[in-house]
Amino acid sequence: MRPLRPLAALLVTAAALSGCAEDSGSVAAADYPSEDIRLLVPYTAGGPTDIAARALGAHLEEELDQPVVVENLPGASGATAYTELISSPPDGHTLSMTALPTAVLNYLSNDVGYTREDLAPVGVVTQVPSGIVVPADSPYQDLESLFEAARQDPDAVTVGTPGATNTHAAETRRITELYDVPLTVVPFEGNSEVQTALLGGNVAAGFVNLSQDMLPAIESGDLRVLAVGTDERLPYADAPTFVELGYPELTQSTTTFGVIAPAGTPAEVVTTLEDALRSTSEDEAVVEALDPRYVPEEFLGSEALGDLFVETEETFRDVVGG
Amino acid sequence: MTVGISDGIVQGFAVALDPVNLLYVFAGVLIGTVIGVLPGLGPTATIALLLPLTYTIEPATAVILLAGIYYGSMYGGTITSVLLRLPGEAASVVTTFDGYQMARQGRAGPALGIAAVGSFVGGILSVLGLMLLAPPLADLAVSFGPPEYVALTALGILLVTYLGSGTPLKSLSMAALGLLLATMGQDPITGTTRFTFGSVALFDGLDFVAVAMGLFGVGEILHSLERTDKVQAVTQRIRHIWPTREDFRNSSGAIARGSVLGFVIGVLPGGGGVISSLASYALEKRRAKDPSRFGRGAIEGVAGPETANNASSTSAFIPLLTLGIPANVVLALIFGALLVQGVTPGPQLITEEPEIFWGVIASMVVGNVMLLVLNIPLVGVFVQLLRVRAGVLAAFALVVTMAGVFSVNNDSFDMWVVLVFGVIGWLMKKTGFEPGPLVLAFVLGEIMERAFRQSMLLSGGSLDIFVTRPLSGGLLAVMAAVVVLSLVLARRRRAAFRHVDAEGEAGLDTAPAPGRDTRRTSDTDVPTAPGER
Repeated sequence: MRPLRPLAALLVTAAALSGCAEDSGSVAAADYPSEDIRLLVPYTAGGPTDIAARALGAHLEEELDQPVVVENLPGASGATAYTELISSPPDGHTLSMTALPTAVLNYLSNDVGYTREDLAPVGVVTQVPSGIVVPADSPYQDLESLFEAARQDPDAVTVGTPGATNTHAAETRRITELYDVPLTVVPFEGNSEVQTALLGGNVAAGFVNLSQDMLPAIESGDLRVLAVGTDERLPYADAPTFVELGYPELTQSTTTFGVIAPAGTPAEVVTTLEDALRSTSEDEAVVEALDPRYVPEEFLGSEALGDLFVETEETFRDVVGG
Repeated sequence: MTVGISDGIVQGFAVALDPVNLLYVFAGVLIGTVIGVLPGLGPTATIALLLPLTYTIEPATAVILLAGIYYGSMYGGTITSVLLRLPGEAASVVTTFDGYQMARQGRAGPALGIAAVGSFVGGILSVLGLMLLAPPLADLAVSFGPPEYVALTALGILLVTYLGSGTPLKSLSMAALGLLLATMGQDPITGTTRFTFGSVALFDGLDFVAVAMGLFGVGEILHSLERTDKVQAVTQRIRHIWPTREDFRNSSGAIARGSVLGFVIGVLPGGGGVISSLASYALEKRRAKDPSRFGRGAIEGVAGPETANNASSTSAFIPLLTLGIPANVVLALIFGALLVQGVTPGPQLITEEPEIFWGVIASMVVGNVMLLVLNIPLVGVFVQLLRVRAGVLAAFALVVTMAGVFSVNNDSFDMWVVLVFGVIGWLMKKTGFEPGPLVLAFVLGEIMERAFRQSMLLSGGSLDIFVTRPLSGGLLAVMAAVVVLSLVLARRRRAAFRHVDAEGEAGLDTAPAPGRDTRRTSDTDVPTAPGER
């Protein structure tokens, strides 16, 4: 690989020079897409991101009239896929799914070879909110009683989260930091492990994604939601928001799934992709496959996703590494 | 309750014997067997790829197909473990110990045959257990918190030291190395990176498949290339395709015990499959009159773990079907498939969607019968593989291994890992170290570390949590009793030995700690590691 790098640089320079001569940049953008599109998925096949990507890929294929190949590159909380993405030519033929805030937390806490500047946001696909849940027989009837117990005894409240570096762990630490509520974060692997720990009475509460896999337990009453991390209440979880309860800062726990391209992708190409993505959110079959509960009512495009990256980075910069 | 169950069973078979569903069961177990044979390409990737196809078929049919792939692959994995010493997943690592030795002795047919029969019996008994005992066992799965996992994995590692046929010191040092390797990658609690040397490829640590394939498969390939003629001589005498009556007699107990172990331990999310096959092997070795046969082609060493392995893949459905909690990645995928269909697995599944619950269970009976019928003639075919010239077979196995390992994460880095561990495996073989303890400790170490640190967070740093909780306390007490008992027995036996042969035992007195007395005696008559023979 290494010895090829100077050669590749040379070729890129040459291409750029010839590009200047005949303005092939816009020609290429006008032709776009001219070949197969790779849609990288930073998580394993079969997970929620993968399922969303495959539904999305099928739709993009129709919209753009080129085959869309979904490729799973799991590992390093997404860094494996993002590294592959940013080393691909920025021509819109290599895209990646992304999940925020994990994608941001990842480069804030470790040197993973990319930052926000290396990525060109295209648009948002789904947004999955989060909430604090307790088992049905928990003594805590509302968020305040849970937090009060924590203030009384700093070791009393353990909070299970579906990962060590994801939004939930970071957001739980923010609760402690901003509002002086001592909570012990206990990281598990994924929602289902947190659910097991909750039902077995091993953790007092869980801060989890209110994704499809958690909803059955919530609907059946095995788990109660104490608060949700969105700006407004959710139709499928009978619980107040953190904002309502007097914690206005706690709105950063929603996981946003979006599509990104390498930085330097021509603006025209990004616009083409953004339009294709927008039409996805209006296609009933795709929305059904993605689950209508999680498709934003109003389409969030390149700019909105870009803003979200910046906002997430500002929110969590101080929490990580501490 | 009993009326409900018998009604349910009737209804279940009505669903499972529907021609369309029969077709899907068959497709499932066939696909499962094939992907099980291809190392690296496991049920996870296959089910993920086939998932979109299931959206348009009936929910019960979809799960019947996916479940068929899952338990079909469990059997397929046996084939490569026995013939090529390539364990495709953690649960079949144990099968390589005696299965591969049997193949070397020209007894690949009986090994595969007994595995098929054992898998069948384990599968069927486990389905019966699923029908009768699902709800109480679901409670067991939930009551297993982090401290219980610490106790369970500690037990697993204790069992690992019973496994090898080399000296206990060598087994222990390899297990320690496995535990060390398991610490590579992101810290499970803080998320900071350890031993990654700045490489993003190492963030998640080393991949199990790559490590196991390297140490076992590639290590063996390199080793066999050194002595092509010998390998050839062995493979020429493939006489028995089917286990003899004596084989059946020897393994019937192992199969019965493996069924129970696999069924009970398989219910536990995470690690259930590995620990059940491990426990079964250790139990058989412990019970054997002559433990030194283990690791040198003892048929019970194949029959027990293979039975346990398949029984656990069935009982793993219990937490999913009764609580809506998937025990592993494959079941998470099946969970996803049901959710997409608008069916929510959970306590209400039995009453609200009885045709799914009972239909899937009945289809497992049908599927296990099909697997048995399918595999008996296939044993003969697969055994012929060994007639291929060693050099050709080695090259073929290497290509399949590399492709399989690449397919797990689509990452070429894993191929380097295979090669590096292949060389390590070869060196270990030359020096009489065994890869089994290393690989199993590697798998268990990760679970153990996470669970231990979760326990410490839960208890606020107090170790009391392990003894004050009844389940973990009980498990640890049993382990302590076993260790003490072995110590006492060892002392007594040593005294007896000293009487007979004072000289020979004297040197071994300084050998390490408790509970490995059985092998100590065997070591005296087997000075070199049997792998070398």
